[in-house]
Amino acid sequence: MKELILFTLIAPISGFMILALSGNSFSEKKAGLIGSISVGIAFLATFICLIDLVSGSHVAKTLTLYNWVSVGNFNLNVSILVDTLSIVMLMIINGVGFVIHCYSVEYMHGEKAYSRFFSHMNLFIFSMNVLVLSADFFFLIVGWALVGLSSYFLIGFYTEKHSAVLAARKAFVMNVIGDVGMLVGALILFQYIGSVTYADVFSKAGTAFANDNAALAWACSLLLIGAFAKSAQFPLHTWLPDAMEGPTPVSALIHAATMVTAGVYLIVRCHVIFELVPNVMEWIVFIGILTSFMAATIGLVKYDIKRVIAYSTMSQLGYMFVAAGLGYYALAIFHLMTHAFFKALLFLSAGSVIHGLNGEQDIRKMGGLKEKMPVTFYCFMIGSLALCGFPLFSGFYSKEAIITVSFMSEQGGYCLWFFAIFTAFLTSVYTFRNVFLTFWGEYRGSEKPHESNYIILVPLIILALLAIIGGYWKSGFSEFLSYTVKVIEDPHNTILLIIGVIVPLAGIYTAYQMFVVNTKQTEALRERFRPLFDTLQENYYFDLIYDMVFVKPVKMVGYFLGNIFEPKIVDRLVDLAGEFADFFGQEVTMKQDGKIRSYGLMVFTGAVFVVSSFFLLFHINNF
Amino acid sequence: MVHLEIQVLAFLILTIGIVGFLVRKNPIVMFMSIELMLNAVNLSLIGFADELKSVDGQIFSLIVMTVAAAEVVVGLAIIVVIFRVKKSTDVDSIDLLKG
Repeated sequence: MKELILFTLIAPISGFMILALSGNSFSEKKAGLIGSISVGIAFLATFICLIDLVSGSHVAKTLTLYNWVSVGNFNLNVSILVDTLSIVMLMIINGVGFVIHCYSVEYMHGEKAYSRFFSHMNLFIFSMNVLVLSADFFFLIVGWALVGLSSYFLIGFYTEKHSAVLAARKAFVMNVIGDVGMLVGALILFQYIGSVTYADVFSKAGTAFANDNAALAWACSLLLIGAFAKSAQFPLHTWLPDAMEGPTPVSALIHAATMVTAGVYLIVRCHVIFELVPNVMEWIVFIGILTSFMAATIGLVKYDIKRVIAYSTMSQLGYMFVAAGLGYYALAIFHLMTHAFFKALLFLSAGSVIHGLNGEQDIRKMGGLKEKMPVTFYCFMIGSLALCGFPLFSGFYSKEAIITVSFMSEQGGYCLWFFAIFTAFLTSVYTFRNVFLTFWGEYRGSEKPHESNYIILVPLIILALLAIIGGYWKSGFSEFLSYTVKVIEDPHNTILLIIGVIVPLAGIYTAYQMFVVNTKQTEALRERFRPLFDTLQENYYFDLIYDMVFVKPVKMVGYFLGNIFEPKIVDRLVDLAGEFADFFGQEVTMKQDGKIRSYGLMVFTGAVFVVSSFFLLFHINNF
Repeated sequence: MVHLEIQVLAFLILTIGIVGFLVRKNPIVMFMSIELMLNAVNLSLIGFADELKSVDGQIFSLIVMTVAAAEVVVGLAIIVVIFRVKKSTDVDSIDLLKG
């Protein structure tokens, strides 16, 4: 039964191969069908394995395919780890991925590179499956890098659009920074433990690093850099908003269900070694809450419907990091799952809005779409409510628990809780700002809005249902995960629960007042806090700072090397070698004058020289 | 018994041949110089053969003569061809192989 899990790798890679090798010769229908069905097969296989695991013993199984490298004491098997954590991740990736693929069939209609889109989407799913199914750090890094590569393809899908190409490059560079960190971290672990499989590393880390805690701290921090880069956490977060340049289904795939969750997955998977270094756990919490708060404030002022959602993704990932850093791994994965549902829903319904307005993304040019796109509106509304943590929606169960934990856990406290709850408030303000500006009031655009057709709406409805009911089986979920990761029972606190219910409502009310009722006052407020507004609009000038600190110096060094060092020094040296040979050759050709007698003279001189040197040598030896 | 006289004579003939080869411009005379050199070597070989009571030197001298005869044939043929083309046998005017 467990061999079925191989289909999660075989199906997407076959889909990728078929579509990539076909060039663009398949019709849209055929390409869309192949692309979607391959992910569908992967999902079915995962589902069967899930049932197998639930009805069976829940025990992790390692499926060893073959021995790949065997050098000295080092053995590396190509193996797959099937346990409750990887199955949950696979369910999210392939389930949401499948829905997104179906949606794309209609959304990408009429695109020139239709096959290329689906082939890269399949590659992406494959990479993600490699990442979560790996049983060792080696294939984790392989999957990690493959995800970075395929995200590069997808973000830069519109190759003729300059900004998209730049965004893809930025995402790739940021991710490679993380990849390098991970690689070095894994190498440190290998240096001390002598194996890269999870089983060995987790069981031996405690003893292997007993005398050298600093090395373990380094290894964990370096792994964490990889997690931060993939999950768009401060300070490697700047690629995520720019990645909105890709098509909307790509945004949904990358930023909801798959790529950005890899960092959270890594922390949860490796929690055994992270827990050995308490400082690192504190850093995870700190960076998580910082990113969460920062992203929420930026989300307040953005005008691009997708970018607002992108910032909310960063913010929610921050929550997951907080939960993971505090030791509530099941909660982090639970929020990851509910987030995957409602964030995919939000992105896809935003895509439906954009599709209906022929590519318009600026919420200042929308408005009043409630009547014109009713189904999209309700789906967007459900997604937004779930994101805010409105009671009885999926987001409520996961997010409210994280906020409670931030107060109740040992490392938590007032400060952490305050930022968490304030971020939750901001989340509902910016989310509903998005909703109100898009769907309420007068229509301000020039395109003629129309509702999308059923191929787009059915995936929306499926995701909407999941976004509502996704949070109901929380205790079962924790128990299921407890076979793989350490699970702590979530604390309960009635007062915190009540505050957690009121705050989103207050946020929604504030947004209603600001963006529907008193829009004039909001304008005045914006004018009054212009510098703050501009700072937020410019993402706290991070891009500017990075540009000045990293990009400009590198460009200057490049200019120096390219325009001064290379022509003046390197080229000069090469030229000198040539000039020397040329000079030497000129001198020698002068001697070769073609006259027999001068050659003869040279031959005789040479003969005399040789004979006399032999003669001399003999004499020296004899004396 | 050392035939020093023979070796000195051979050396003198060799030197005459070398100098002749280097200073004369007429290819025929240059050929003669070459022959002179070869024969000086033959003389030396035979001198040594007699001195060492060995027949090797004599055999060698015969081989040298054979080679010299063959070489003269080829060399004279070349000179004739060059003369036909250039209408002159001045060796300094034949310098097409200069670098």
